[in-house]
Amino acid sequence: MNVYKIRGVKKRLGKKKVLKGIDLDVKKGEILSLVGPSGSGKSTLLRTLNRLIEVDSGSIEFKGSDINSIDPIVLRRNAVLVPQESVMLEGTVAENVMYGPKMAGLSSDRNMEGLLKDAGLSPSFARKDASKLSGGEKKRVSLARALALRPEVLLLDEPTVGVDPKRVEHVENTIIEFARKRKLTVVWVTHDVPQAMRVSDRIANLKSGRVREVKRASEFEWEGAY
Amino acid sequence: MTSGIPYTPVEGLIVLAGVSVLLIIVILISIWKKMGIGKDFIQGLLMGGSQLVAIALVLTVLFRLQEDDNFLWIPPVIILVGSMAIIGGWRSAKRAAKMPGAFMVTTPAIIAGASVSLMVLVISRAMPLKPQFIVPLAGMVFGNSMAICSLTLDRVIREFELNRNVIETKLSLGASSKQAMEELFRMGVRAALIPTIDRLKTLGIIFIPGAMAGLLIAGTDPLVAAEYQLIVYIMIIGGGIITALMVVILSRKRFFNENEQVRDWG
Repeated sequence: MNVYKIRGVKKRLGKKKVLKGIDLDVKKGEILSLVGPSGSGKSTLLRTLNRLIEVDSGSIEFKGSDINSIDPIVLRRNAVLVPQESVMLEGTVAENVMYGPKMAGLSSDRNMEGLLKDAGLSPSFARKDASKLSGGEKKRVSLARALALRPEVLLLDEPTVGVDPKRVEHVENTIIEFARKRKLTVVWVTHDVPQAMRVSDRIANLKSGRVREVKRASEFEWEGAY
Repeated sequence: MTSGIPYTPVEGLIVLAGVSVLLIIVILISIWKKMGIGKDFIQGLLMGGSQLVAIALVLTVLFRLQEDDNFLWIPPVIILVGSMAIIGGWRSAKRAAKMPGAFMVTTPAIIAGASVSLMVLVISRAMPLKPQFIVPLAGMVFGNSMAICSLTLDRVIREFELNRNVIETKLSLGASSKQAMEELFRMGVRAALIPTIDRLKTLGIIFIPGAMAGLLIAGTDPLVAAEYQLIVYIMIIGGGIITALMVVILSRKRFFNENEQVRDWG
């Protein structure tokens, strides 16, 4: 079953045609990587999937319904986007993690310890000032913050950018682990093709606003250039 | 009640010419030192001066109409107060030129704040329904609402631009635009009201405010003048708070579209 069915999606940002007719399916429970050089439209496509931006033409279906018929707030709680820059909101780590559920009016039953643990953080982090964390820690808090909404889909924009190179694989494994455990569908934007080959089930290769090919990660051939 | 001013309008002109010498010296120094404000200064002086003379003439006519004890003064006063609202909204919107349709935020916000203040002044009988009271008090109330409107909008736009990633992070976590802007709006209202609150704290120490100064010069008992000033000031602050809140409420639709997406102002 497809979580997303994307057909002929076009999007212009200012004068630039960023997406020039994207056709792509995202299957339930898979980790799909979007790879491609910068400017190929990966992040823009990701932002259309939670309606942070609107497409100019074409259609996107989310679980069989036209995305435009779904309340954007409801959609964003179901398909949570984790932006490339891990922006910490004012307050403690716990307050950050609970932000989404609190806005949705359902914070009381969330298991803070479990969320932090799933994102690879020890429970002692809960009371720390979020603004004082390292880049890698902020990344993990933003993952825990997304998980707190109990989404079905995670939209990750370069989730390991800014993470200490020695810790990259650890963060990757953390994501894969909780995605499998919670049966999440993940759309993972990365410019790092070897990473895509390590983490994903399928890889979609984008080039100048179009999908060039979609392959199983095990069959993806990469010659070191896009 | 005596006017308190010891000369006639004609004698006043001579005094005005005398004090203008001081201003001319300042302008000459600014030109000589190439401060680049000479032109602005002269322009400001001419504009301010002619506006004051114009309003003085209008008031003279209005006061005459009022003396005749009929209601002929009402339409011109309505026009005058209405133009205060529109000019205030336009001026304030010019400060927020980046925001499309800012006029539709500033004008209703200024009108809302100022009308509540004026209404309370009327109900409390602090402002008898006579042009002599309505025009200067409306001027003060609208002027203050305009200043607060500009400050609020300017701050909110600036903070929005600086914190766009925070706003988008919040939206991505399923916050509504209202929730995402909550903190920023609070900051804008607070920032806009700080100068007014500071002025309240220094009232009578650093400066004697306009209404009280006018009453004192006109020979009113200082205690009565102080009381009246406080009444006016509290109303001005009340109106200012309402204006700031209205700016926040109305500007949300300028920042976000109906799909809870950040609008592109490009």
